Amino acid sequence: MENPYVPYPVEVIKIVTEVDTKDIKTFRLAFVNKEDEEKFKYLPGQFAELSLFGKGESPIGIASSPTNPGYVEFTVQKAGVVTTALHEMEEGTIMGIRGPLGNSWPLEYLEGKNVVVVGGGFAFTTLRSLTQYMIHEDNRKKYGKITVIYGARTPGLLIYKDELAAWSKRDDLELHVTVDKGDENWKGKEGFVPTVCKEVAPSADNAVAVICGPPIMIRFTLPVFFELGFSKENIYTSLEMRMKCGIGKCGRCNVGSKYVCKDGPVFSLAELDRLTPEY
Amino acid sequence: MEKRLIKKDALAGIPKKIRENFTVFAPVKVEDNVVFKELEPQEEPLVGHYQNTKNAPKGVFFPRTEVMMRYVRTPKGVQLKGIEMAAADAVLFGVRPCDARSFALLDLLFDQEKYKDPYYIAKREKATVVTLACARVPYRTCFCTSVEGGPLDGKGSDVLITDLGTDFLVEFLTPKGEKLGSYFEGTPASEEAEKKKEEVKQKAEGEIVSHIPAREIKPILDVNFDHPFWDTIHKKCLACGTCTYLCPTCHCFDISDEMKYDDGRRLRNWDSCMYPLFTKETSGHNPRPTQKERWRQRTMHKFKYYVDNFNAIACVGCGRCVMYCPVNIDIRKIVEDISKLQ
Repeated sequence: MENPYVPYPVEVIKIVTEVDTKDIKTFRLAFVNKEDEEKFKYLPGQFAELSLFGKGESPIGIASSPTNPGYVEFTVQKAGVVTTALHEMEEGTIMGIRGPLGNSWPLEYLEGKNVVVVGGGFAFTTLRSLTQYMIHEDNRKKYGKITVIYGARTPGLLIYKDELAAWSKRDDLELHVTVDKGDENWKGKEGFVPTVCKEVAPSADNAVAVICGPPIMIRFTLPVFFELGFSKENIYTSLEMRMKCGIGKCGRCNVGSKYVCKDGPVFSLAELDRLTPEY
Repeated sequence: MEKRLIKKDALAGIPKKIRENFTVFAPVKVEDNVVFKELEPQEEPLVGHYQNTKNAPKGVFFPRTEVMMRYVRTPKGVQLKGIEMAAADAVLFGVRPCDARSFALLDLLFDQEKYKDPYYIAKREKATVVTLACARVPYRTCFCTSVEGGPLDGKGSDVLITDLGTDFLVEFLTPKGEKLGSYFEGTPASEEAEKKKEEVKQKAEGEIVSHIPAREIKPILDVNFDHPFWDTIHKKCLACGTCTYLCPTCHCFDISDEMKYDDGRRLRNWDSCMYPLFTKETSGHNPRPTQKERWRQRTMHKFKYYVDNFNAIACVGCGRCVMYCPVNIDIRKIVEDISKLQ
């Protein structure tokens, strides 16, 4: 019997400090055993338990895309015991990951549709995975127009800066990057994500919005999309809860009778409406 | 399915005989309490002369604390040393029908199609459950018949023993149970014994004084997540967690790490939805911020969520939470009150 509690050993092969506050880093992990990579077949939107023996485990969304094989990436904010220990790690360290866990962004449902990706702050991680997946040459033709709206509080808090620069040069992806407040070097947009969504006004025709960000951003962004004509069936988001097992047994991440770890983390607003508002 | 009659005085010797070949868990008197525990050589198991154990026997399959794996510090980081999954051939002797039923309920969760819990399953598969039916209903707080069980119910059991007054009727309910046949010397049971059992069953069920509308409240819970009723349960709750630790079906757990010098272990411990930290996130946000939400969760989990997911009520009617709550919160009253909500 497979033991879902035992993490796969992985080596930290690259660490990138994403923001000028230095508390958000991206960890690139490579499987120590090649066969484990085969078993860890994931899709954008899924997450994994980052496992540090002696410290504990932390559930984190997968930031890389399966279209880039050979490694898995996680962008992690330094916050608690596990993530603080993670931030102190050096390249070459062996740690563990357990997963992939949960469902994924509705990739099949998105096929043939226009996709609006909206992200705020460092909740952009699984959206980056989704975007990488959709714009990959094997997949790009499956999707219609792709619009990405991404915002952070300051230019220094934007993550994946190099990648954003590369995306901005593509003609098969419409990118809008905004910051709440720019600095002297900032030449881009200024304004909150909901306001920018209103300006960009993506059409709701045959379109799905995928939204991830801090609760305050989501609260003000949703009305904009309702006004644009997006139905609750066509708006997706991802939930977070405190988790331990990741496989629906330990009993803490349920929202009503659904477990965020195994029935989620991705839900449409229509699905969330049918659940209890306890998250 | 074989049935046998055994002499009344023969029962007491059986668990000791089984112990020669198996690890035996049975009710044992320890100080003032009767607890369900592993039978040590010098210990006398209680057979028949007890009501029910203070602790639920679920701990045999899902221990209060269990080591999941061990690891060791190396120059390249802390690495896995070994996975711990000890499971002995065990016999649980003298389980009450309500507690045996809890195994069947826990199987639904730990032994699902997609996500199997190897720690639970390893122990469960190697164990045989010998249940002692409640020919006399132990407590006024028993309400097994309201939650799809009964004093002579065999669900979750491999062998069911019923006191018929003159003899014990031994029913081997599963192939696993039949393998213990040689320990129970007796005569084949006649139809007479079957009739006698039915009489005992009628009498025992009649002795149960607590009845709750456990199934009936499901549709009410479906639509009353925000009802003001939820403000009425929790105010005297101390958040001690006793109800969840004694409950035969509560299965929530925590996973934690311990390290001493270069060696460490990852453990799983029982956790409780009654505790504020259970759902508190690193950010400080807590989706169940007060005892009100926690009580709603406990009630909903047992009488709605488990029914939604597995079509079974996650309560066996043992009454332990009713008996041992230090502030007399009574799940029977909660269910009764919910049934009257408009």
